[in-house]
Amino acid sequence: MRTADLLALATESLRLHRLRTTLTVTGIAIGVTAVLLLTTLGEAAKRYVVQEFASIGTNLVIVVPGRTETTGFPGATGGTVRNLTIADAAAIARQAPAVRLVAPMSAGTASFEYAGRSRDIRVLGTTAEYAAVRNVAMRLGSFLPPGDPERGAPAAVIGSTVQREVFGNENPLGRQVRIGRWRFRVIGVMEESGQSFGLNTDDAAMVPVATCLRMFDQPTLFRVAVQVRDAALMPEALGQIRDVLLRRHDNEEDFTLITQDAMLATFKAVIDALTAALAGIAAVSLAVAGIGIMNVMLVSVSERTGEIGLLKALGARRRQILRLFLTEALLLAGGGALAGIVAGLAIVFAGAATWPDLPLRPSPTWLAVVSVLALGAGLLFGLMPARRAARLPAAEALRGHA
Amino acid sequence: MTPAGPPADPGRAADDVVIRLEHLTRLYRVGDSEVRAVDDVTFDVRRGEFVALMGPSGSGKSTLLNLLGCLDTPTSGTYRLEGEPVQGLTEDRLAHVRQRRIGFVFQAYHLVARMTAARNVELPMLFASVPPAVRRERVARALAAVGLTHRAHHRPDQLSGGERQRVAIARATVNAPAILLADEPTGNLDTHAGAEIVALLERLHREGLTIVLVTHDPSLGGHAGRLLRMRDGRILAKDGPGTGGAA
Repeated sequence: MRTADLLALATESLRLHRLRTTLTVTGIAIGVTAVLLLTTLGEAAKRYVVQEFASIGTNLVIVVPGRTETTGFPGATGGTVRNLTIADAAAIARQAPAVRLVAPMSAGTASFEYAGRSRDIRVLGTTAEYAAVRNVAMRLGSFLPPGDPERGAPAAVIGSTVQREVFGNENPLGRQVRIGRWRFRVIGVMEESGQSFGLNTDDAAMVPVATCLRMFDQPTLFRVAVQVRDAALMPEALGQIRDVLLRRHDNEEDFTLITQDAMLATFKAVIDALTAALAGIAAVSLAVAGIGIMNVMLVSVSERTGEIGLLKALGARRRQILRLFLTEALLLAGGGALAGIVAGLAIVFAGAATWPDLPLRPSPTWLAVVSVLALGAGLLFGLMPARRAARLPAAEALRGHA
Repeated sequence: MTPAGPPADPGRAADDVVIRLEHLTRLYRVGDSEVRAVDDVTFDVRRGEFVALMGPSGSGKSTLLNLLGCLDTPTSGTYRLEGEPVQGLTEDRLAHVRQRRIGFVFQAYHLVARMTAARNVELPMLFASVPPAVRRERVARALAAVGLTHRAHHRPDQLSGGERQRVAIARATVNAPAILLADEPTGNLDTHAGAEIVALLERLHREGLTIVLVTHDPSLGGHAGRLLRMRDGRILAKDGPGTGGAA
């Protein structure tokens, strides 16, 4: 049979039962839309995370005190932990040739006071290198000045939220403020950067690392951020950093090196798993819709027993009957896929327009996957009714029963 | 075409035989008992004959017609259609035989309700992959032959019973079959419409079509060139009112 004739015959019989056809197509469309939306959301989440990671700097290695068994995430510590010191950070900068910049970091929480106003903020201690390592953009003034990291000047760089909440329209540059029991002079305001990595630097103040350690009476750094010269040098850099620290820590590996890639990979894996789980749940609705197709096709076969007998009497082969009914099932599934994709894309584009921050974009891969899934469901659930039709004995079918 | 078996009627030329049945038998199992629906039937139908198969209901004439139409396969015996044995062919081969050589006309017309008259007539050619241009031409010719050109785009429910049966006859003859098998073609029609259908069948017969008709209407049987009476699955009398029956 010619393909055009096959499609025409199948369409004619589907058109006869408009409501039934529409409902079945809608079932498939809902499944397709659900899979499409959830996977698009997952992809958007992944893209968002990648963007966030890119914004915190490139070719980063984070040194965390303590040993974690699993790589990729700063976790529970174990074994004897030596302090990670400013001297360690300086040693990495001096002795690891593959390293470009090193920024030691410490952290605490204190109240920020100015002109009678007070606000609890995060206090981060670091050095001038931090600005380059983490892509810090300045709104006003300048970042912490370079100098001996062991010596702390009473200078503070504040985040945009602190500026807005504490200073309002007043220019904060050069103002004397109090952070905890310590006095500082504001030398710069950072550009708004948002939440990155659970660390909101908008509602924080940056002070020299040595000062920060003294303020909070901490013996160890919170972490050391290291920027490697080149992505290709990453393995070498990791080796060099490890060697330097092992030498300084009596060969005890009481620190953990986390690369940006490893963290990103972990996040991606988590999001992928979530996306797959959600898509799986959505796929269940597609399977249910597939059973809908099977039901409609079974009804159709039993209603059209006489017609099938006639087609056989007119010389239709089993295979042609099979293909005719399979084509009907596939048209239902294909129509559903098309409607579902159109609806899904409409929602995605509407969502992208409504929340410009969320990188919602339809993925061609998932469009293909969901189309294949829908047509596969049509084929799978259409096969049984179509085979039943093809196997009807001609003489009995002609009499209207089989 | 050389028939291998002995001709049932030695007087006729072998290549003129369209249907040759020899000891054709069809058994059904009903519970524990066996029903011999068609029992050792032997006869020939020659090209251009108009044969009526008559008998009371349950005499096996419909089963025999199904066997002739390759919709059913015999339990034993042989059936040659235009010299070619068709018993034991696969389903697909039988479908091919039906498509090329057999036209069916049913008592209840069996038109597809959602399709126009023209589309119904076109239907058998769809499965034979006939190109659309050829189809259009043949549909037009077949509908003209039954006088329904003006009804081509009407659906069956817009047609009278007689018109429906004429559409069915156009459909049955559109692939130029070797035989036309008609199962009570006037059974659902009033006298007037029935007479029209009989006249149409007679005309097709005069134009050379071989027809086998099943009926229990004696007046319809009387139009046939040859009458075969069936009872309990057997052929009782071989020759009816006409003698020979060839056009």
